[in-house]
Amino acid sequence: MSGGNRPYDVLMSTLGDVEERTSADLVCGERTPAPWESAMQATCECLSSGGTLDNLERRQAEDRLGESVYARFPVHTRSALIVAHSLMDRDVITEEELRAKMKEVRARLEMV
Amino acid sequence: MSTTHSHAPLEESPLTEFEVLELAVRELAIEKGLFSADDHRRFSEWAEARTYTVGSRMTARSWLDPAFKERLLSNGTETSKEVGVDWLQPTGQGTPSDYTFFYVLENTPKVHNVIVCTLCSCYPRPVLGMSPDWYRTPNYRRRMVRWPRQVLAEFGLHLPPDVEVRVHDSNQKSRFMVMPMRPEGTDGWNEDQLAAIVTRDCLIGVALPRADVTASQVPKQPKGRSGGKKR
Repeated sequence: MSGGNRPYDVLMSTLGDVEERTSADLVCGERTPAPWESAMQATCECLSSGGTLDNLERRQAEDRLGESVYARFPVHTRSALIVAHSLMDRDVITEEELRAKMKEVRARLEMV
Repeated sequence: MSTTHSHAPLEESPLTEFEVLELAVRELAIEKGLFSADDHRRFSEWAEARTYTVGSRMTARSWLDPAFKERLLSNGTETSKEVGVDWLQPTGQGTPSDYTFFYVLENTPKVHNVIVCTLCSCYPRPVLGMSPDWYRTPNYRRRMVRWPRQVLAEFGLHLPPDVEVRVHDSNQKSRFMVMPMRPEGTDGWNEDQLAAIVTRDCLIGVALPRADVTASQVPKQPKGRSGGKKR
């Protein structure tokens, strides 16, 4: 069971790959933003522009879900988490589709 | 294509789950026709090409048009639309997606403003473009709030003791831009001329505009120090 105000398992499974957030502050430390973050931002814009997920709505969801459902994730991962969460909540994509696509993408990127 | 070069090979960094998640979400959205790969590429290209010239234009116009200045100072978010930046509906203008409140901070003879993001590197990208490398360093972020005069002096900006320095810390929802004072020697200048001397660093607050300095001109050779002994 997931969605709404509960986490999606497919998203929780990414937690092992990032340093878990251990305090309530928003400090993002000395990290350098990864290239996927700006690509994610472009995705956010495209989704907002097309009317699928409004930017303001997403930002508010980031605040709400980022401090509750996904509180263990570092702040910089919120856009990816909340976009995926929102698209699944709205039945734009399913959890199964996302899991399968992630598997496909991973296999492609790991190909030598 | 040449295959002989002396560069070290690229260091392999492990694939991260978020890299995978980002691409998976994007590709699913494209497959479902929500946008195209070209839309995505074009937005990325546009966003990365933004520069501080919007901020320069805002400042120059404010120097010439008191009514615009008043609007900008009282409601930066709304007045940005007059120079083509819509913070609330960024796409189309191509601004990054952070929903924020935008505040313009006016320098006066007694108050000097400077911006920082102690949290990470929040920056008013729609009007200033990408942040400079130093803005994102712990050195700048930590020290500017504690010892602003010392840090400003390292940039070559020495403010008189009777000028109050106000440091504005950006956050998730708020972005700031400094509006410097119009320098001497610019009487009769038009908006384009004025905009040319409002450089990025002036809008961050680590420099002051000068009538003889633009960002596009090559800095003059420092005088008086050859480094060698005089004979």
